[in-house]
Amino acid sequence: MSARPGSYRLTSPVWCVPVILFLAMFFIVPLAANLARTDAPQGWFFYYQKLLYDPYYAGVLWETVKVSLITTLACLVVGYPVSYFMVRHAGRWNALIVFCIVAPLLTSIIMRTFGWRVLLARKGLLNTLLMDIGLVTRPENLADDRIAVYIGLVHVLVPFMVLSITAVLQGVDVKLEESARVLGAGRSRTFLHVTLPLSIEGIATGCILVFVITNGSFLTMLLLGGSKITTLSLLIYQQFTTTEDIGFAAAMGNILILVAVLCFIVQYALLRRRNGS
Amino acid sequence: MTVLAPPLRLVDVSKSFGGVQVLKPLRLDMVQGEMLALLGPSGCGKTTTLRLIAGFEVPDTGSVVINGRDMTAMPPNKRGLGMVFQNYSLFPHMTVGENVAFGLRMRGASAAEKTKRVRAMLQMVRLESFEDRRISQLSGGQQQRIALARALATEPSILLLDEPLGALDKNLRERMQFELRDIQHRLGITCILVTHDQEEALTMSDRVAVMAHGEVKQVGHPTDVYERPRSRFVSEFLGTANIFTGTVKAQEGAAWRVAIDPRGCAEPLIAAETLQLGQRVTLAVRPEKLVLGPPKADAITARVRDIVFRGAYFAYELTLPNQEQPLFVYTQKREAVPDDGIVGLTWAPDSAVILEEPA
Repeated sequence: MSARPGSYRLTSPVWCVPVILFLAMFFIVPLAANLARTDAPQGWFFYYQKLLYDPYYAGVLWETVKVSLITTLACLVVGYPVSYFMVRHAGRWNALIVFCIVAPLLTSIIMRTFGWRVLLARKGLLNTLLMDIGLVTRPENLADDRIAVYIGLVHVLVPFMVLSITAVLQGVDVKLEESARVLGAGRSRTFLHVTLPLSIEGIATGCILVFVITNGSFLTMLLLGGSKITTLSLLIYQQFTTTEDIGFAAAMGNILILVAVLCFIVQYALLRRRNGS
Repeated sequence: MTVLAPPLRLVDVSKSFGGVQVLKPLRLDMVQGEMLALLGPSGCGKTTTLRLIAGFEVPDTGSVVINGRDMTAMPPNKRGLGMVFQNYSLFPHMTVGENVAFGLRMRGASAAEKTKRVRAMLQMVRLESFEDRRISQLSGGQQQRIALARALATEPSILLLDEPLGALDKNLRERMQFELRDIQHRLGITCILVTHDQEEALTMSDRVAVMAHGEVKQVGHPTDVYERPRSRFVSEFLGTANIFTGTVKAQEGAAWRVAIDPRGCAEPLIAAETLQLGQRVTLAVRPEKLVLGPPKADAITARVRDIVFRGAYFAYELTLPNQEQPLFVYTQKREAVPDDGIVGLTWAPDSAVILEEPA
C-alpha cells in the first residue's frame, strides 16, 4: 500500500537488489561450489558415508557435538545469572557490564587465546599463584588441555548467551514476578514458574547461537587444545593443510552447514509456535 | 469482650529512596470491610505506601501490622494479601484457569479444590466459559476481571488495588467501578485502592486519603473531603475550586460577613464556626455552587470569557478585574449573559469553605 506518497520509494523492493547480488556472489555460489566439490570419484555419497560410518570420523563428529553441547550448557549456567542481574538489579551499571561482556569480542582471537595460554601454562600466572598458596606442588600445564578449550570458548561465547537472554528478560515485566510473590510464590518458585518459562525464548536463541558458533570454531581448539580435542572444523583444517583431501574437507563443511541450518529451523519453529498461540 | 485487631495498621512507616523521603512517617488504621482510597498526584507516595503494605519494600522506620501480626519483615508471599496491578500482570504463558489457580497451586491446594474455586471465581466475574482461553485472547476489561478473580481466589485478608482501572477506556472504567464495588460489598473484603483519579476515588471508596509530598493531607468520607477540604491542595485536587481571599468584617448569627479581595468587591456571608473580626481568610467555592446573575451590589462582578458545553453541564470561564487566575462556574442550563459579558457571582453561606491556611 502506498497510502503516504513519500513512503513508496523507501519501501521499494529495488533496494534489496544489491544485497541479493552480494549474497549470491559471495554466499550462494561458494556454497554450491563446495557442494560440487564433494562429488568423489567413488560416487556422490562416498565422503558422507565415510564421515558417518568410519568409527574415527563418526567419533570426531560426536566429539564436535559434545564440545558444543558442553560449551552451550556452560555458557547458559554462567550467562543466565549475569543477564538476570543486568536486567533486574544493575541500573546505571548496566552499560559498564555490557562493555565488560562484549570486550572479549573486540579483541582479536589470537590475542585472546594466547592470553589464556599465558595464564594457564605450566609457568603461567595461575600455576604460580596455586604454587604460592601451596595448593599444588607440581605445576600442571593447563593450556593444551580440554579445560583450556572450554574456558577459551565460554569466554568468547558467553556474550552471545547474555545478550540473547537479556533481550528477552527485558520484556518480562517485573510486575509479573511481583504478582507471583503476592500470590504466595517464594523467590525460587517465582523464578521456576514465571521468569524461566517467560525467558525460554532467549535461552533457546542463545543456546542455538553458541552451539552453532562452537561447531564452526577451530582456532581455540587448535591453540588451546593441544591436540586433545579433535573436532570437525579442526579436521577440515588438517585435510586442507596436510592431507590435501579437498573433497572430504568440503563434505565436512557441508555437514557443519547442515547442522547450523537444522538449528535455525528449530529456532524458527519455536518462534512460530510462540507467536501462533 | 474481644476487640478485633484492625485488618491493617501502619505505625509511623516512612521510606526514602536515594536520600529523598518519598513517604513521611505515616499512621493509618483500616476498618474491617472498608474500601480506602489513597488518592494523589504521581510522586505523592501512594504507590510506595501500597508497596510497603504488599512487602515489596521494607520501611525505613515504623511497622506494618496485618490482622494484629507485625509483618514488617515478612516477604510478600507470606502476607496473605491479594493484589490487582495496573496492567493486570496476568501470566501470558498460562491459560485463564491456570492464572486464577496460581495462588491455590502455590498453597498446595488439591486438584478438586482448585477446580471448584476457579469455577466459583470465574462465575463471580461472569467469565465462566473462559477457563481454557489464552490471556492474549482477552479484551482489556476481561483481563481486568481475571486479574480480580486471580487475586481473590486465595481469599486474601486485604485486597490491594494499584490503579486497577487505569488502562481501561472511560465507559468501561465507569462500569467496572460499580462492578468492583459490588463484588467488594458482597465479599465484605477490606480494600486499598491507589489512584490518581479523583472521580474513581470518590465513586468507589468509603474513605479517601488525599496524599501529597509523601504525607496524608486529609482523610475522610468522600463527600466530607470533597465538600469540606481543609487545604487549597485538597480542594483543587478533588475537582475544580475557585479560591478567594478576604477579611472577616462582622458576625451575623451563625455566619460571618467577609470582604472579598480586592477590597470593596463584595461582602458575602460565610457559614463558619469561629472566626475573628479582622482575620484574613482563604475561601474555596466549587464551580457548581457559584450562582450566575445580573451584576448587583452584593455580588462579585466578573466578566464571562468563554462558555463551554461539557455534556452534563455548561462551564463558564470568568475573569475578575486585575486578576489573572480565572474562575469557573458550572450550571445545569445555559444562563443568559448580557452582551458586555458582565455578570454578578453569589453563593449560599454554606457553599464556601474556609481553608486552613492564611491568606
